[in-house]
Amino acid sequence: MNASALVPLPVVLPLFGAGLALAFGRSARAQRIVSVVVLALMVVIAAVLLVRADADGPQVTHVGGWHAPIGISLVADRLSALMLLVSVFVALCVLVYSLSQGLVEYGPDTPLSIYHPTFLILVAGVANAFLSGDLFNLYVGFEILLAASYVLLTLGGTADRIRAGSTYVVVSLASSIVFLTALALVYAATGTVSMAQLAGRLDDLPDGVALLLQLMLLTAFAIKAAVFPLSAWLPDSYPTAPAPVTAVFAGLLTKVGVYAIIRTQTLLFPDSELSDVLLWAALLTMVLGILGAVAQDDLKRMLSFTLVSHIGYMVFGVALATDDGLSGAIYYVVHHIVIQTNLFLVAGLIERRGGSTSLERLGGLARLSPVLALLFFVPAMNLAGIPPFSGFLGKLGLMQAGVDDGGWLAYVLVAGSVVTSLLTLYAMAKAWNRAFWQPPATEPDGSAGPRTDLHRKPRRTDAQVLTGKAAVVMRAGMAGPAAALLTVGVALTVFAGPLIGLTDRAAADLRERTPYIEAVLPGGAP
Amino acid sequence: MMLAVIAAHFVAAALAPALVAWLRRPALLLLAAVPAAGFGWAVAMTGRVHDGDPVEQRIRWVDELGLELSFRLTTLTWVMTLLVTGVGALVLAYCAAYFRRDDGGLARFAGLLTAFAGAMLGLVLADDLLVLYVFWELTTVLSYLLIGHNPERKANRRAALQALMVTTFGGLAMLVGVIVIGQTAGTYRISEVQANPPSGDAVTVAVVLVLVGAVSKSALVPFHFWLPGAMAAPTPVSAYLHAAAMVKAGVYLVALLAPAFAGLMPWRPLLLTLGVLTMLLGGLRALRQTDLKLLLAYGTVSQLGFLIVLVGAGTRSAALAGVAMLVAHALFKASLFLVVGLIDRATGTRDLRELSGLGRRLPVLLVTSVLAAASMAAIPPLAGFVAKETAYAAVVDIAETGDGTGVGAFAGWALVAGLAAGSALTAAYSIRFVWGAFATKPGVEPLEASDCRFPSVGFVAAPVVLAAAGLVLGFLGPAETTLLEPYADLFPEGVHEPELALWHGVNTALLLSIASVLVGIALFRWRDGVDRVEGVLAPPTDAESAYRAIMRGVDRLAVEVTGTTQRGSLPSYLAVIFLVVVAVPGGVLVAGQLWGGDGVSVRAWDSVGQAVVGAITIVAAVLAVRSRRRLKAVVLAGGTGYGMAMLFILHGAPDLALTQVLVETVTLVVFVLVLRQLPTYFSDRPLTSSRWWRLGLGAAVGVVMAGLALAASGARTADPVSEGFAEPAVSYGGGHNIVNVTLVDIRAWDTMGEISVLVVAATGVASLIFLITSRDGRWRPDDAIASAPPRHGHRPHRNLWLRAGRTVAPEDRSILFEVVTRLAFHVIIVFSVYLLFVGHNAPGGGFAGGLVAGLALMVRYLAGGRHELDEAAPVDAGLVLGIGLFVATGTGLVPLLFGGDVLQSAVVDFELPLVGHVHFVTSLFFDVGVYLVVVGLMLDVLRSLGGGIDEQSDDEDSDTAEPAETESSIETAEGVR
Repeated sequence: MNASALVPLPVVLPLFGAGLALAFGRSARAQRIVSVVVLALMVVIAAVLLVRADADGPQVTHVGGWHAPIGISLVADRLSALMLLVSVFVALCVLVYSLSQGLVEYGPDTPLSIYHPTFLILVAGVANAFLSGDLFNLYVGFEILLAASYVLLTLGGTADRIRAGSTYVVVSLASSIVFLTALALVYAATGTVSMAQLAGRLDDLPDGVALLLQLMLLTAFAIKAAVFPLSAWLPDSYPTAPAPVTAVFAGLLTKVGVYAIIRTQTLLFPDSELSDVLLWAALLTMVLGILGAVAQDDLKRMLSFTLVSHIGYMVFGVALATDDGLSGAIYYVVHHIVIQTNLFLVAGLIERRGGSTSLERLGGLARLSPVLALLFFVPAMNLAGIPPFSGFLGKLGLMQAGVDDGGWLAYVLVAGSVVTSLLTLYAMAKAWNRAFWQPPATEPDGSAGPRTDLHRKPRRTDAQVLTGKAAVVMRAGMAGPAAALLTVGVALTVFAGPLIGLTDRAAADLRERTPYIEAVLPGGAP
Repeated sequence: MMLAVIAAHFVAAALAPALVAWLRRPALLLLAAVPAAGFGWAVAMTGRVHDGDPVEQRIRWVDELGLELSFRLTTLTWVMTLLVTGVGALVLAYCAAYFRRDDGGLARFAGLLTAFAGAMLGLVLADDLLVLYVFWELTTVLSYLLIGHNPERKANRRAALQALMVTTFGGLAMLVGVIVIGQTAGTYRISEVQANPPSGDAVTVAVVLVLVGAVSKSALVPFHFWLPGAMAAPTPVSAYLHAAAMVKAGVYLVALLAPAFAGLMPWRPLLLTLGVLTMLLGGLRALRQTDLKLLLAYGTVSQLGFLIVLVGAGTRSAALAGVAMLVAHALFKASLFLVVGLIDRATGTRDLRELSGLGRRLPVLLVTSVLAAASMAAIPPLAGFVAKETAYAAVVDIAETGDGTGVGAFAGWALVAGLAAGSALTAAYSIRFVWGAFATKPGVEPLEASDCRFPSVGFVAAPVVLAAAGLVLGFLGPAETTLLEPYADLFPEGVHEPELALWHGVNTALLLSIASVLVGIALFRWRDGVDRVEGVLAPPTDAESAYRAIMRGVDRLAVEVTGTTQRGSLPSYLAVIFLVVVAVPGGVLVAGQLWGGDGVSVRAWDSVGQAVVGAITIVAAVLAVRSRRRLKAVVLAGGTGYGMAMLFILHGAPDLALTQVLVETVTLVVFVLVLRQLPTYFSDRPLTSSRWWRLGLGAAVGVVMAGLALAASGARTADPVSEGFAEPAVSYGGGHNIVNVTLVDIRAWDTMGEISVLVVAATGVASLIFLITSRDGRWRPDDAIASAPPRHGHRPHRNLWLRAGRTVAPEDRSILFEVVTRLAFHVIIVFSVYLLFVGHNAPGGGFAGGLVAGLALMVRYLAGGRHELDEAAPVDAGLVLGIGLFVATGTGLVPLLFGGDVLQSAVVDFELPLVGHVHFVTSLFFDVGVYLVVVGLMLDVLRSLGGGIDEQSDDEDSDTAEPAETESSIETAEGVR
């Protein structure tokens, strides 16, 4: 079988699986088997696609035999295939994690039968967004993943989740409206939505109009990617969801936005005048985001802010619009998908072990569970950019690209990256000091909060939980995926050479544009 | 080999926990063997290094980033390697005796300390600036964990965080510097940068940034405060990290780069000033300490200042003196720290006000300390004296002639005076240390034999060896000179060729040495006076409180900025989004004058009908926004949708119009179902104040959108791709209804995605409504029947034709409506199937058909309540949805098995008896999937928003006394909205 025949499978298979899982709604076991098998298959397919895309160039399929630009084409080039592989692998880890956590977290009363199909549809949406070679279909991909994310975010329907969910849903709808409008404008101006064809036709448009279209698309994607000032919704909506849901959102959803920015900026608007605007957005996203993280008392909320902040790094790389900058951004996306998901999964483990994610209430975990301490510390340092981990390598690539750029604004961004890195470390170390080192009960040096506070009453019971009486032992099924992601995070360092070679080639492809366009429209654009 | 030695440390560190669990404390001796092996290797390399044949090893890592695991053993790195491995091995061995049997965390500690030794070794061996930085930060992080070894005390946690932040701050500054140097030089290899140092303004700034890193790591003013704080670590850690190894990293880096960059303008003023200041400040502070460990810590700060002056001066003599001093310092300071650890363990205190008469009890320690302290105070014949003699000679050369540094005579003599004063202070606190630890003090009860446990031989070995090494080295000046010469020779020839020796004859250096020791004795003798003077001179604020103020400032800034950007209010987030839309694309629109353009002729309308429909739609939209009743708003919003459908018809698109009308109808009914649970009126009180503002923003968005539409459509030059649909739709897609062919064939991929959205939406609604379900965790809509309260054994209900009697109150029923519905139901369903089948060639299709079938179900529900609905469709909505999605995607997969493209359709024409010619397109199967999904969605929505909410309100009616229940159902309803 030709590899290009595999291209649609990462979307069709999970949808097929979702249909099966829904039909099997009465058997939780059958649902689990379906979803694990589907995701495992997807990992294999994505790996094959990546190898073939790297070796033979972009793998293209034309849905229904309708060739571009009439029909929809699906394209797995180096960037798409890499994103796909990492995302699907991370999704598989999260799924395995949630299988172990599932019933305990949601209780027996949860509509479990919808979790699996919804999760599969979410992954299908993500895969579709990565593979689509058609701007309108990219929108459909977004809709799939957003609709699924609405359901997952409000799972269990507690008051908190509904509140967070309404913010999330309404903001996402607003971004979809902007995207849809942008699509209508693109079609009105060019008469096509096939990206390969658009690449040519947008060049023919008057500069001003092309700029308008670019700005509209960027606005839509910036909301999804959580770029400042369009990022405030994220920390308000993510932390309340169940740990695996937050983890998969944090890992994948914003990255789809970043992917869309990378794809459209490079393919559709190669000679962007917006570098400076993007650099400013990147800087503000980084710095304001990480200040938000420093201000948090809750682990999951803190992590949500670091998520926003580190999107800034990726935008930084895209804004530089050089091969090195783009390569750095792609590597950073890969790193961040793995690490941010990892941290949220560990936050879920902490929640189970310590009974809370509030840093006010946690304590003494290092002594209580050294394994958990390791599982948190390594990705936390990784995120903070401590070498030799992938976070460092990603920042290094970006900073080198920034220094090569040589403009004053690029230097400001390099300084901003460093400040953000330092503050990330500060936030992580503070969290470590409090959750893992600080004794769980009151401070011996008497600096604990007021003991007369009535609200402290229930915390005593937490302390009892911590001292081990009712302590919940970590399940291997939950710690396993977290450990697997940690290992992958370390592998990103060990195999950084080949991987950065790959991202370099991907970036070169993107900047060159022709490999993509010629793969989709072999005879040239009509 | 070098990588193997380094890696061996990390492997040992990973195995350490298991080893400790197995062997307990002796495991540390085993771990000590690893650095000891490294020491042996370095000794074996002595000849090669001295012959100027550096040992090199390079392994590719990330070429693209200039990262190469390259290591190189030259004179300087050889010296550092010996120190790092030698002291490391001794300290690890010492730990075996230092820790008590029951000390918690020994496993972790052993691993961390071994890993640290590896990181430190990597740092000194690295020949790549980035790899050096990697190990540099690793030592920082490991030191953070080691300082926080006993995290129960808040002071320890704070000290660990402080050390981490200060040194990482410097480290990151250094990283930027390293990157600028590397990118400018085109290489990160240290040996190449040394050979061809880059230059330029950027490089000058970069070098300063690197120095910030070095200075923070080596705890120079103004970063000196973290080092005394780091004494929270166990004493062996202090001995190794904070005296012999890690803090030397800064000194090492300066020494490494001095041959290349010492000539740059800010280098000497910066380092010499900070060095002297640090030496004086550290010495003064050390004199005031009562905790022996803190005394040594400030002493270390002072000595680091001294070392930086020497290695940073950039002359051949100073360089030789610097390296010699580096060695001497490592030996005596590690030895003294380990002695303090012994004293602490033997007596339980490190406070010199409590220790008295210890010298008589532990004479071995006394001798060791005297040797080490004498080396520190620069008393012959110890290594410290030899190094300091050369150092004095070097700075006197600088003062007298400049020695190639360009330092003026005044600055030069100030430097000499500063170092002499610093040395005097060093001598004073050295005496204070020995006196404080061992003397019998008046007014303090001398320690009895029972108060102190005599340490084991193994425990004492490490400090004794180190102190003895300082003594031996004192006599080996010439040999040391020969070994260190290759490094010194990197600098240009100076006024005198430097030589390490005990006796150079009577010269300025000797006089300075004698003077500083004498002044030191005097300072110790009259220490109370010194104390008072210092108290007066002490600045009102110190660097540590500045650090705290900065961190507090960061925290406060974080809270304030976050409070401003993160309002927690959805309206404000939306406002930001729309403001961006108005400001950014809108701004470009205005600035570029793009909306009118040339050649765009705007026609108000094509036909009168269009104008009328348009006007109605606009009015409905405006009224919808203005209405305060929810129901009214929903109906008016529906009006805009119907208006849209009318426009479709006027444009000749019956298919779109049909679908639009059906969707609007379904949406309206669903809204009404939900509105039952919501208050009649919108609550707009909290938002009244911003009403005009919001109105303005909304209008602005509308204007911008209109402008964008004009600009975009005015720019169209190419033909739309849809013009190419018509012909292949028939020839390849096999259908005459172009809309349907587009939906199920050309763009079937979009449709497949959208039906999955429908599936998810349906399950989502259900998951919110049916929260409380059966034990096995799945939702089963027919629970509504199973759990319906009034059973009473009324079996006859099963056979009722009209089920409404079960749930609907008699006064709410309309028998006529129920009966007509029952009669019409099957006709509508048949019609929906008809729409499905003809869709490919005539208006209709799976989507429209599904909606019609759904409307049929809806009518059944509206007429007869939820049990009537169950009667009409006795299946699980999830099953219908699942099968629909399964069929649609399965249709997509099947062509792949035949070697086609995904979702490819085949056209089959055949003759059927009785029916005649059949033109069959396989995309019909896909459309069947769509149909099923839509029906499933409708069923699901009716069950949850209809039946589910009915049930909840039934519960509330029967149990209104329980407020929690009501609250949760309102939340649920809000979630649905």
